[in-house]
Amino acid sequence: MSKNSKTFSESWHRIADQKIGLRANVKIRKQYFRGEKWYVLHDPFNNQFFRLRPEAYVFVVRLRQDRTVGETWDESLKRDPDGVPGQEEVIQLLSQLHFANLLYYERPSDSANLFDRYKRRKQRELKSKLLSIMFFRIPLFDPDRLLKRCMPITKLMISYGAALLWFVVVGFALKLVFDRFDEVASQAQGLLSPDNLLFLYLGMVLVKTLHEFGHAVVCRHFGGEVHTMGIMFLIFTPIPYMDATSSWSFRSRWHRAFVGAAGMIVEVFAAALATFVWAYTGPGLVHGLAYNMMFIASVSTILFNINPLLRFDGYYILSDLLDIPNLHTQSRLYLRHLVEYYLFAYKDSISPIQTRREAFWLATFGIMSGIYRIVVFTGIILFVADQFLLAGLFMAMVCVISWGVVPLFKFIQYLATSPRLARSRLRATAISFGAIVAVVFFLAICPFPNRFRAPGVLEASHYVQVVNHASGYVDAVLVPSGEDVEFGSPLLRLSDRELELEIEGAKAQKEETVALQKLARYRNTADLEPIRKRLETIEEKLANLLYRQRALIVKTREEGTWVSPGSNEMVGTWIPRGTNVGTVVNHDQFRFSAVVSQDEASNLFADQLRNVEVRLYGQSGTPLRVTSYEIIPFQHERLPSAALGWRAGGDVAVAVTDESGLEAAEPFFQIYAEIDPRPDVAFLHGRSGKIRFSMSPEPLLFQWGRSLRQLLQKRYQI
Amino acid sequence: MTSLSRNYWSTRILFPEKLYQGLDRVTHSLLGLSRRRPGILQKMHQEAEHIAELSLTFQHVSDRRLRDRLDEFKVLFRRQKNGREEVLPEAFAIMTEAAYRTLGMRPYPVQILGAMAMYHGYLAEMSTGEGKTLTACLPAILAGWSGRPCHIITVNDYLAGRDANEMKPLYTYCGVKTGVVTSAMDPAERSKNYRQDVVYTTSKEILADFLRDRLKIGICHQPSRRLLRQMRHPGNARSDALVMRGLDTVIVDEADSVLIDEAVTPLIISQSQENKGLLLACSRADRIAQSFVRDEDYQAVMKYREVNLTEAGRDKIEALSATLPGIWRGTSRREELVVQALTAREFYQRDKQYVIQEDKVVIVDEFTGRLMPNRTWRQGMHQAVEACEQLEMSDPSETLARLSFQRFFRFFRKLSGMTGTGCEAAGEFWQIYRLPVLTIPNHRPCQRVLSPDRIFVDEEQKWRAIVEDIDHCHASGRPVLVGTRSVKMSEKLAEMLTEKGLSVNLLNAVRHQEEARIVAAAGAPGALTISTNMAGRGTDIKLGQGVAELGGLHVIATEKNESGRIDRQLFGRCARQGDPGSALAYACVSDELFQRFATVPVRKVVTAAISKGSPGAQKLAEKSIARAQRSAERLASRQRSGILKMDTWLADALSFTGSNVDF
Repeated sequence: MSKNSKTFSESWHRIADQKIGLRANVKIRKQYFRGEKWYVLHDPFNNQFFRLRPEAYVFVVRLRQDRTVGETWDESLKRDPDGVPGQEEVIQLLSQLHFANLLYYERPSDSANLFDRYKRRKQRELKSKLLSIMFFRIPLFDPDRLLKRCMPITKLMISYGAALLWFVVVGFALKLVFDRFDEVASQAQGLLSPDNLLFLYLGMVLVKTLHEFGHAVVCRHFGGEVHTMGIMFLIFTPIPYMDATSSWSFRSRWHRAFVGAAGMIVEVFAAALATFVWAYTGPGLVHGLAYNMMFIASVSTILFNINPLLRFDGYYILSDLLDIPNLHTQSRLYLRHLVEYYLFAYKDSISPIQTRREAFWLATFGIMSGIYRIVVFTGIILFVADQFLLAGLFMAMVCVISWGVVPLFKFIQYLATSPRLARSRLRATAISFGAIVAVVFFLAICPFPNRFRAPGVLEASHYVQVVNHASGYVDAVLVPSGEDVEFGSPLLRLSDRELELEIEGAKAQKEETVALQKLARYRNTADLEPIRKRLETIEEKLANLLYRQRALIVKTREEGTWVSPGSNEMVGTWIPRGTNVGTVVNHDQFRFSAVVSQDEASNLFADQLRNVEVRLYGQSGTPLRVTSYEIIPFQHERLPSAALGWRAGGDVAVAVTDESGLEAAEPFFQIYAEIDPRPDVAFLHGRSGKIRFSMSPEPLLFQWGRSLRQLLQKRYQI
Repeated sequence: MTSLSRNYWSTRILFPEKLYQGLDRVTHSLLGLSRRRPGILQKMHQEAEHIAELSLTFQHVSDRRLRDRLDEFKVLFRRQKNGREEVLPEAFAIMTEAAYRTLGMRPYPVQILGAMAMYHGYLAEMSTGEGKTLTACLPAILAGWSGRPCHIITVNDYLAGRDANEMKPLYTYCGVKTGVVTSAMDPAERSKNYRQDVVYTTSKEILADFLRDRLKIGICHQPSRRLLRQMRHPGNARSDALVMRGLDTVIVDEADSVLIDEAVTPLIISQSQENKGLLLACSRADRIAQSFVRDEDYQAVMKYREVNLTEAGRDKIEALSATLPGIWRGTSRREELVVQALTAREFYQRDKQYVIQEDKVVIVDEFTGRLMPNRTWRQGMHQAVEACEQLEMSDPSETLARLSFQRFFRFFRKLSGMTGTGCEAAGEFWQIYRLPVLTIPNHRPCQRVLSPDRIFVDEEQKWRAIVEDIDHCHASGRPVLVGTRSVKMSEKLAEMLTEKGLSVNLLNAVRHQEEARIVAAAGAPGALTISTNMAGRGTDIKLGQGVAELGGLHVIATEKNESGRIDRQLFGRCARQGDPGSALAYACVSDELFQRFATVPVRKVVTAAISKGSPGAQKLAEKSIARAQRSAERLASRQRSGILKMDTWLADALSFTGSNVDF
């Protein structure tokens, strides 16, 4: 059987005289895993399972209560000298069967030992409960009788007709969702708002209860017993669960996979029904609940249940379909084998795999699930910490202990004491230590490019807002928007009837005053002085009026392109003095105006900026060189362009109260960067993009540390 | 028919606690350190001095009044009454006086200190020759008073008989009856002796008797359950046949060899059973193995004492066993058999691991060098060795019961002991036996002159130097004791010396009957004794007339042992009780210790340094020896705790076979 087991054991005498057999109630089934024959022992009393290889099975079934283990072994040895398990192996086997409570033995069992074992099992369970506090379970009741009673109905539900119905309903629901996708999307934004949380939770409980019943019904349908149903605290949120482990003894892997998928099938169906309810009700309680159910049933199915990397339904389905039971454990064993065999040179390590296909799946799964776990749990912790800071800290601590400290300690212990490493302990320690040093060196010493980015807009460095200096009705637009204009060329012509009248009036007044002056010269010279003063005033007024008249022709004071998108609509309207009628933009020079948040500002003033470049949206492949830049060492609150703010889809948070979308939520620093033009990049005023600052390279560890501190500071004000 | 309570206690066993793991282990060892803290020793020492003074006040009290007082104590201890601790100093003082009146020896304060330490469950580390025999009596008397079975474990039958005999007057004076159990006794005699209050015996005897008793008890090991069964079926009561009274208190002399060095060798009760198949398989395996060439067909790994087949070897087996029937058809079984045959050839050497007497393989205990007839190696191995020696193969023995000393001594309620060298293994004593070690100061300062080790590159050179040294010493009339590691070595040395015309007392496995007598005589002027390391332990080597003036006994170790402790034990044979004496060890780079536990570069550097005679070579060699010894000790200690873990696991896993102290 196995190469490493000895034929003879020094402890053989301890069991040789025992009369042992399998307990009468143990059921045995033949089952194929990965195309290999196995025998599964199942004790229906306590739902314990045990898997045997055919060689071991041949021996175990031979055990009878009327003859000793030694006699059975001798007989087996005669029948099949090579196949029979060695004495050491038999001892192992029997002890495992004993631990699984599958053995009947003649001697009165040692009750003290039984109690001791019971106590230890309870302790282990408690420990594993504490370690998996995010999946804490409380069993509540036994649904088996209920399920049995429902069998006639459930039989109908598991049929081709039901499958057809399922596809039709889900299909229509999908169509409905696509038709009204904008509504679906807009309602999704309010999903996590506090007033919806209760709905969300209720929807989840409803959906998950249906989900669990789906598993249970299908499991029962194929003959598996379902004895436990209860509440699981998934990240402290109570949701229902049930125990369908009896499906593991199903002979067909498709049946097993079906049980695994049943929950999702039911859930998706419920989501479809909820879609109809949502679509045909007006806003209100039922409408909201239906929407939430729909959302949870679909999103949670896609994100969690079907995902094989988490240990939900998808995992079990995958493991059934690949025919690799205990995918998770197996993949870990396999990775461990790879490390021990190739790195630690433990050549006695036995690979848990048989085929290359399996090796591929196990290795891929092992690595992917490791990464995925870290990512998901970091996300969950951050999410919880956002809501409840203390709970988040507690969870983070639990996670650090159970996935950081405990494995580390175990690994050290393994390195120091594992008998597997007896020959190569030095090598194993050196390699592990070397790996750690290499990683630390890589992270803490090896410098990496260190960059940060800031959003901004392109501005022409010389541009003028064209403003009319006199009010008036717009008569004509002399230059159409978009054309290049010379310095001083007229752009708009305004007319102002009143101004003309005023000029006429002023001219008349002037004439009158001139006449009065002449009269006074020979009648009353004493009046001359006041009259001269008056004349001056009137002339001044006239000059002013004439200036305004000239200003009715709006001219540019800059050369460049005349941009006035709204000028045609202006014709015939009254525009008051000082109205911005358009812009004349000089195309020769542009600058990039960027907005740097508070977080990054320290980098900005750190005086170690190496290389700065700008990439415009839509053309991020062509970096633009920045010739010089200027930091305005003063905080700003108004964005250079609304395009940068949240309101217009940008990155910068803007004040909710501000309608213009220019008021930033927190003060920022502004940077003006002069950029070299490039022929293949169209420089257009107002084009947005990002500016990238490269600082002197810094090891990743320091970069991450700073980011983490900034994150904590920002999120938790620590 | 014994009383109910006797019957109950006779099979009751204390369940040993599991070995601690991880942080628990650290905490536990801290606890052990606190029990060994110097303050405790100081306090006890003061008390011991006080008791020694107190004992002088009883000098003029009549025997009768002392006996009356002792009887009072006996009742107090018998009934486990309170107030025992208060009268303890007085009890010790009267026992001290009693020892003087009966034996003519008044225990020194340090002996009283040792006795107190043992009473409190310590392992007393006392230098050789400090009078451990007398020391052990005092706590044994206290235990004897309690009426619970008390065993004193000695190294061999001779010492058990001698100690019991010498100390008998003291025990009798104190109202305690003694018994001795030796290997030659029949069950009736054993039973009679085991019924005494204090029993002197050896570890092998007590464990064998314990196992035999267990086999008699049958299915129900748990005492209460067994009693209930007996009440229901009075006809089946078989407990009268039990030899022992049960396990309670034990005092182990030479605790380090019993509890550590020899602890993992299990004691096996077996009966031989015909198994033709196995014999045939072994001889065939031997025949196949004969054609195998080392490093071509297989590799022998010295350090782990194992054989690994190469691909060529595997193919060879397949080719050679092609026509063989039965067990040879499968790959794994046949390879196992051939590996066994090769292991027998490579690692089981005649006159080292075994000797041949009357065409039978007799195992030699590697530590004591003593012969162990009736012992066999595990199934198949013994036959493989026999096949290798071309002897007629004996039937394999079928194991009936098997228990390691390590596990056995954990069953006692109260374990204490004495040793000459304990502090090196203090951690292990505490972890495995919950036995804290307390170093008792010497009564008289030690006058041993310990010369630095002499290290050679060439083995022949080493032997020549040893012979020269012996010759030189012998010429001056000083007695010399040489300790060798194996029977072969001792014979080789004896031959070399005889060639020189020196008369040698050779003490090795083959002549073990007179071992204690020969060792005792090793102190006579001009005596020249060669013995294997552990032979004659515990025997007092008294210096002959005028030897002290010449410088006392000179002890030579021909090789460094795998444990520094064993070296120290050997050196402890000289300079006892303030006598003068000298000791020195020889070592060679090709010694087994170096070969197995020093790395190749270290060996090379040391060899080069010594052969060049470069300065500091001596230091370097000593350092590397110490290193090799440490790594050997670590390996051994790990193996021991591994075996204990394995035993515990087995007991747990196979608890369906009966009780979980099964063997």
